[in-house]
Amino acid sequence: MRPNGVESIRGIQAALTEVVSPEVQSEFTRNVLQTIQMLLESLAGEWDTAAEDLHKDNRKLADLLLLSAQAIRALPHSNDQLTSIVDEVEDVVSGEEQQSLVVSTMTATNNQLLATLERVLAVFGDGIDDAEYAGLAPVRRAIYQHLREVAVRGWSFWDAASFRERMARR
Amino acid sequence: MLAQRIQTYLAARLAADGDVRVSNLHRIPGGASRETWSFDADWNEGFKDQHRGFIIRRDPDASLLVTDRDVEFRVMDAVAGQGIPIPKMYWLEQDSAWLERPFFVMERIDGCETSPEKVLMAPRFYQARSRIAEQFVQILARIHALDWATIGLDFLGVPESQATCAAIEIERWEAVLDRDALEPQPVLRAAFSWLRRHLPAPAQRIVVVHADHRTGNFLCNSDGEIKGVLDWEMTHLGDPMEDIAWACMRPWRWLGDEKIGGLLDRSDFYRMYSETAGMLIDEKAVRFWEVLGNVKFAAILLTGGRSFCDGRTRSVMMALVGRNIARLELEIMDLMEV
Repeated sequence: MRPNGVESIRGIQAALTEVVSPEVQSEFTRNVLQTIQMLLESLAGEWDTAAEDLHKDNRKLADLLLLSAQAIRALPHSNDQLTSIVDEVEDVVSGEEQQSLVVSTMTATNNQLLATLERVLAVFGDGIDDAEYAGLAPVRRAIYQHLREVAVRGWSFWDAASFRERMARR
Repeated sequence: MLAQRIQTYLAARLAADGDVRVSNLHRIPGGASRETWSFDADWNEGFKDQHRGFIIRRDPDASLLVTDRDVEFRVMDAVAGQGIPIPKMYWLEQDSAWLERPFFVMERIDGCETSPEKVLMAPRFYQARSRIAEQFVQILARIHALDWATIGLDFLGVPESQATCAAIEIERWEAVLDRDALEPQPVLRAAFSWLRRHLPAPAQRIVVVHADHRTGNFLCNSDGEIKGVLDWEMTHLGDPMEDIAWACMRPWRWLGDEKIGGLLDRSDFYRMYSETAGMLIDEKAVRFWEVLGNVKFAAILLTGGRSFCDGRTRSVMMALVGRNIARLELEIMDLMEV
């Protein structure tokens, strides 16, 4: 359907800039308009790839969780916390295989996977100084690499200012 | 009409002979934790015409921060006259009957700017930058030198010891995350775990921590003179390194380079602070507090997002900030070296 979502957002932004903004006298209202522009920019930035990004994220998270479970199982000793997290991983990953591409459904799955990832990272963090847990290090690195990739993708109003140089270095 | 209600309020507060006239009432951008309104007032007192500019900070419908306005008022009132530039505080009004929500009234300081864009980028401020930087550091040292017990700031809560300052702040901000996060936050949760494993050495002494001392939170003129330090709502007693780290955080490096607050190099900041405050910079502690600062800022933004999604506000600012913690997560992971 044309104009599509992004084209429509661009139209709204143009109307705000060219029609509404020149009529605005108050500094406060101009500031609100700028904020609306940034919010629209943020939405436009994720519109086209939102479904694909979520789909890929969920698959990647499921893979990372399974790798985590394998690494935990390979530890020389186990305990209730470790057994429990492995069970949780198996449970949540088996539910990930649904095929829906509805964004809200995939977001709900993403939240479930991330909630389990929170607990996995807690286990990894607790054992970071323990030589017995050394086998977890490669998976831990892979998890943070994924979290970095997701964070880099996120649009930010700081891109135009304080984070500009650091992002340029990446 | 807000102007009429303010007139009625001022008539009750000022020793005016007759009416008080309010003009030029307008809302000022920023200050996302409270609405900020500026206005002029004219009245007659003792057969003399009086004119004064005022600022009202009114509780919002929802906010980035859940703070008591009386904390900010009491702190600013106590700090005034202690060698720290601060607007004069007039009245704290808890009664919502006057302006629908609680508020306080303070002096308006004219001829100054707060916005980092203007203070750092407007040509008339270029020559003043080193002077601003110098004062920025000196004022922080003076805040840390305040005798908080003598000026009555122990109501903020005195840490049990210099060793507990960090744990108190971890708990404070983890509680905010527990309360306001709408989605899992693996990076922030991992950061809290990292913070507990990397607690700093006990604070050198317990000081007044402004907790939001940065470019954008002071009023300064183009001569480089800082005339007012603002935003005291997160002020508490704690470790001075917390303020050092907060001032150093990347979100306030507005020019996109590594200069602290867009003003000065980190090494110069450390050196000037140490010389003025007589305290050493503990770089390990600063790293700890910088991680916590970024986590705290992310938690504040998530509070805004929660307010929006819960329908307590329709502010687009709250919607925007709630979606904007990705860069903070990157910074946190960099600082944790993971």
